[in-house]
Amino acid sequence: MNTLELEGQLDELYVCASCGNCTLVCPVYRQLKWESYGPRGKLRILRTIGEGDAEFNDNFAWKVFLCSLCEHCAAVCTTGISLTRFWEAARAESLQRGFQPSPAEYINDSIKTHGDIFAMGPKARLIWIEDLEEEVKSRVNKPAEVAYFLGCNVSLKPHLHDVAHSFVKIMEYAGVDYTVLGDKELCCGAPLIWAGDLTGATSLGEKIYDTMCELGIKKIIFSCPSCINAFITRYPKELTEAFEEKFELLTTTQFIDQLNKENLLEFDEQTMITVTYHDSCISARKLGIIEEPRDIISRIPGVYKIEMLPSREETRCCGAHGLLNVVEPQLSSQIAAMRLRDVSVTPATKLLVDCPRCLNAFELASHSMGYRVEIEDIVQFVAKSLKPKDSGGISS
Amino acid sequence: MSEETCAVYSRDVTSLPNLVNQIISRRFDLVAQPVTVWSLQRLVRYAIDNDIPMVPRGHGTSGWGGAIPSRGGICVSLTRMTKIIKVDEYESFVTVESGITWRDLLMFLERMGTTLPVYPSSAAAATVGGFIASGGIGIGSARYGDIRTQVLGIEAVLANGKLVRVGNLILDTETDVFGEEANIGTKWFLDQIRDQVVEGTSDHLQVLMATYGTICMITKVTLRTIPKLQMLPFACSFDSIGNLVQATKQITIETKPYHVRYMADNYTSKLDSLDNLDSEHGKYILSGALHDTVYRNEENHAIIEKATKNAGGIVLDDDRAEFHWSERLFPLRIKRKGPSLVPAEMLIPVDQLPKMLEETEQKLRGSNIAIEGTLGAEGDASCLIWILDDERKKISYTLGWYRSFEINSLARKHGGRTYAVGLWNTRQALEFYGKAGFQRLLRLKKRVDPKDLLNPMKVFGGRIEAAWQSLTLGFVGGFMVALFISTFGPRLLGLTWVIDLMSMNLYQIIPIPTFIIVSFMGGVLGYLVIKQMSLSWALNIGIPFLKLISKILRK
Repeated sequence: MNTLELEGQLDELYVCASCGNCTLVCPVYRQLKWESYGPRGKLRILRTIGEGDAEFNDNFAWKVFLCSLCEHCAAVCTTGISLTRFWEAARAESLQRGFQPSPAEYINDSIKTHGDIFAMGPKARLIWIEDLEEEVKSRVNKPAEVAYFLGCNVSLKPHLHDVAHSFVKIMEYAGVDYTVLGDKELCCGAPLIWAGDLTGATSLGEKIYDTMCELGIKKIIFSCPSCINAFITRYPKELTEAFEEKFELLTTTQFIDQLNKENLLEFDEQTMITVTYHDSCISARKLGIIEEPRDIISRIPGVYKIEMLPSREETRCCGAHGLLNVVEPQLSSQIAAMRLRDVSVTPATKLLVDCPRCLNAFELASHSMGYRVEIEDIVQFVAKSLKPKDSGGISS
Repeated sequence: MSEETCAVYSRDVTSLPNLVNQIISRRFDLVAQPVTVWSLQRLVRYAIDNDIPMVPRGHGTSGWGGAIPSRGGICVSLTRMTKIIKVDEYESFVTVESGITWRDLLMFLERMGTTLPVYPSSAAAATVGGFIASGGIGIGSARYGDIRTQVLGIEAVLANGKLVRVGNLILDTETDVFGEEANIGTKWFLDQIRDQVVEGTSDHLQVLMATYGTICMITKVTLRTIPKLQMLPFACSFDSIGNLVQATKQITIETKPYHVRYMADNYTSKLDSLDNLDSEHGKYILSGALHDTVYRNEENHAIIEKATKNAGGIVLDDDRAEFHWSERLFPLRIKRKGPSLVPAEMLIPVDQLPKMLEETEQKLRGSNIAIEGTLGAEGDASCLIWILDDERKKISYTLGWYRSFEINSLARKHGGRTYAVGLWNTRQALEFYGKAGFQRLLRLKKRVDPKDLLNPMKVFGGRIEAAWQSLTLGFVGGFMVALFISTFGPRLLGLTWVIDLMSMNLYQIIPIPTFIIVSFMGGVLGYLVIKQMSLSWALNIGIPFLKLISKILRK
């Protein structure tokens, strides 16, 4: 298994304690209930493959792609195996052997051809701005201090455009000097890695870096935790270090929290609303963004915040990460429905998230479950809660 | 069902050397996941009708071989039976299906302000049924004892497919559809053991627990619950095991802690998380938790501080205490240093710990070991010896496997016994259950499972599942011995009449010398000896043999 060897993961197969901790937190296992779909089972299969007692075949490759790469297994691993890197290396092995599932192949081709995961092309990234004011449109691709990096989901999915509108509203409210890349924005490349192309994201990262340098950017704000995670951890070391040195990288949640601490945002009293917050897997387990969204919610008067369980680092995946929603959409939706059950046992009437993938997954699942709860990105909630200013502000 | 899925279910926590496949089968033939009692019963009856072995399994988180295949057959994975059936925080019980994990149950109970008196350190993945089927002490045992004392009632499917309910199993009578069938099955079961149990005791409940799924498959359990009070962790560091034991004795008598765990210096020196902590790395650590009201905990914490200082130890601060408490669910952290672990576990009186540790280190001199354990409520403690090795070094790992069995004699010497029976400690089953207890179980096993289909070879031993290599070796060995006896032996002893006899062709039609026929018969005898060999004999021969080879090769 060349890729596993190259990634230095082959010895890790023997470090596994077989304790089962990873299996019981795996959303795929919890749904399918067969060990061979859980992390421990897959590690055992990989060992038998490595020892020559089994074959790396398309059946196993499919199992490798039935994973949301939510990092929960890695977070609870007794012996500290970087399990997510493992699954990524196994996906690369699948790609090498020609076992990449066709939905993953589609994503691969789409990004390489069109620069996004939906095969829509760069011009489509300007659609979300069309109905906004000229003042905002004039900020596209202009030198500024802050660059708002929407990501493919927010910029290209029409029902997620409001997330972008809301964040722009917040930045305008706080008087931030910002730009958006418009048709110059590219996919961060994380889906390429999830599809098994471990090096394909590099050229995308380099292009984005050059664009940001040209615009004189100091801070890059991301709507999607997976995008920022790609910039921080998934590019080659030199590129990651270059980004860290040159730019401050923040999610929208972290940025809003910063604005709050600088007292640049003011909120209206809300009408006794109970909300709960879903920690997205990457935010909680990789980026450590746990208190910021809670602090933001606490700042808004009239909002009662209830903690859903499990939460924080123990949060459950929405099922839409790591290409699971394209490889096996039904399973992905069942996983989202499982997570929505955790919301249903709270008195919350509104569910807040910080990830467009989670937002999308929960909206779809709530329809199929028939479970009525309002689901919003925390950015949308903040934007709606802003106290109107006497002057300034935007409308869309 | 793919071979790889069967292979996944054919393992437990321990990495076994390939040699064991000479005496037990390598993998299950099928994995089944019944979702109801009814489907489980049908599966059992099908297996009985077709003489197919069955092995009940949770998540395979123990290392004693109770959930691995011995003669192939069906792995009965009970992990889909996870419902919480009835809970009453006032009456302090919860009834669950056996496949639920301890962690899921704890999380549920915590929302109701209750918790469990005892659960295993493998709570994240271990199932309720699995821990009860193997018995033992866990987190909370320092105050509440063995897990078996927390069980109020059990529902199980016996090896013959009958449904029984024993003890005080509390169900929702409105939704219970098996009541009548369970009554019939239970009556039959109680008749079978009437001569073996003491009336008015929990004997009839005890025969269904700690028997590793050889008598029955547990489907439901009613467990005791306790109110969730303040859990206050504590941790202390000592320079010697003697000092640790001295402090432990005082602490357990005066404060009745909920949980007490100890880690020897050879364990703490292998934990990366303690690397930069001089007061913990390479020290003897005592950690645990008090579970009481805030006021009582405060008082008890002061007692712990005094006992620790009197024994020359250091009380670690709250953060470190919290850290060690959170680590109670991760005893296998040290595996990375192996990367393989060979376990051996005993139950011994606490005051024997210093001698036990010293003699273990002597006996396993040259091996890389790590020792830790948990206190029970009877003045006893588990002593879990991890032997770190590397299974990729096939020969030395195989030869070194005998070390896991070496410790049993030490436990006996210090007034203890093996911690668990499972597959690998069947030779200690008599000691584990006591003579009367073992005989009782054996009689019951013969009545409920005359064909020995339910988890064969576990607890009671039995015929091994010899691989073709062993059978071939048996034949060759028997052949060579008989050849020697029929040819070289008589020559050496000068028995000319034997030499002449062996050289004759006894049958004029088939011109085969007698000694060849005798050798062939010797080969057949050797083949049959291996084929019929019991697990005990295989281990009695194999373990010393491995030890001998290991000593010769100084591995």
